[in-house]
Amino acid sequence: MIEQTLSFMQALLDQTGIEHFWWGNLVMIAIGATMIYLAISKHYEPLLLIGIGFSCIISNVPGSDLILPGGLFNYAYQGVALLIIPPLIFFGVGAMTDFGPMIANPKLVVLGAAAHLGIFVALIGAKALGFTINEAGAIGIIGGADGPMAIFVTMKLAPHLLPQISVAAYSYMALMPLIQPPVMKLLTSKQERLIVMKQNRQVSRLERIIFPVVIGVIVNLFFPPVAPLITMLMLGNLFKEVLVTDRLAKTAANGLMNVIIIILTVAIGSTMAADKFLTVKTVEIVALGLVAFVFGTASGVLGAKIMNLFLKDKINPLLGSAGIASVPIAARVAHMVALRENKENYLIYHAMGPNLAGVFGTAISGGIMLALLGVK
Amino acid sequence: MIVPDSVDGALILSIIDFFLSIVMISGIGFILSLFPLFNRLGRVDEEKIKKGGH
Repeated sequence: MIEQTLSFMQALLDQTGIEHFWWGNLVMIAIGATMIYLAISKHYEPLLLIGIGFSCIISNVPGSDLILPGGLFNYAYQGVALLIIPPLIFFGVGAMTDFGPMIANPKLVVLGAAAHLGIFVALIGAKALGFTINEAGAIGIIGGADGPMAIFVTMKLAPHLLPQISVAAYSYMALMPLIQPPVMKLLTSKQERLIVMKQNRQVSRLERIIFPVVIGVIVNLFFPPVAPLITMLMLGNLFKEVLVTDRLAKTAANGLMNVIIIILTVAIGSTMAADKFLTVKTVEIVALGLVAFVFGTASGVLGAKIMNLFLKDKINPLLGSAGIASVPIAARVAHMVALRENKENYLIYHAMGPNLAGVFGTAISGGIMLALLGVK
Repeated sequence: MIVPDSVDGALILSIIDFFLSIVMISGIGFILSLFPLFNRLGRVDEEKIKKGGH
């Protein structure tokens, strides 16, 4: 009788994941809990970190079926793996974005590419550390400071690095108010930070409607590998700007966006299994991500300073840092740094131009990278 | 793979990608600088459009 009971108990124990629990799971559960804590107490990207943190915890409970094929978290991951989720995020972003500042001041658009030197510094650094060229490309794109684009390029180049790269990208985006200002101050003089920008011209409704159509055509013509993202960004923006599809624009920007964020965060968190995440490679990727953000900010500021050598009306070089993308965080940081020097210098509208151009800059860099690496 | 899987390859990829990105985005900037010309086609009456919205 006792023997039979013990064998039943053993069989029951075998059904659970307790036997497979190791210290790595405990570390990852602590990381997941920290994400939830930071989201609640520090308000660091709560929309992202709550879902990622929770699914990270659950996916590190041995025996959980959710991450296995057929499990709900696994289906969420398939949405990312099949590259359905990132373009839908861009669709929602397009429906809530005003591209007016970018259209109004086209000369600042070049800062959207200048601020991406970090991508290439990280890429070369990753290769020097022994990553394959495809992995290095995916790591480099962290410097684009664009979550969906980082996910998109990673899934094409090195899908096994998705958890590390997406966590690094989103973490540094949340930390930009801490990372960027020291670099910006180091590379600019007080006088430069005090430069007041001339008011931008008004952008007409016709221009706003034509913009997504023209960009959609250009991107599909020249950058087919990343066209799904920018095309959806432009479709969302067209819904917003035509003024006759308010319902669709609002759905894309609110309801649909919220659903997609839930799926995305669950998908990312569910890939953070201890055996894959707790490696030296993860530490290297996180360090390279920081390098990418620092160099991206620096190259953007220096790019703006180089432009000033040729411009009659000087631009505030802090705008260059906004070219790193991460809309609208980088624009807000440029605005705040300028505001600390002069309480009446409102840079936010001007900074949105290079900031939005940064999204295109990342897409273009990613598209060229995929083409050069022979990935479609 | 077009680019060799080496540090030299990474360097070449980076240089080409960075400069092509600047050229391409400058092209987009140039196209945007032509946008005011569209206004010569006429003006969109926003109030009229909104009346027929859904």
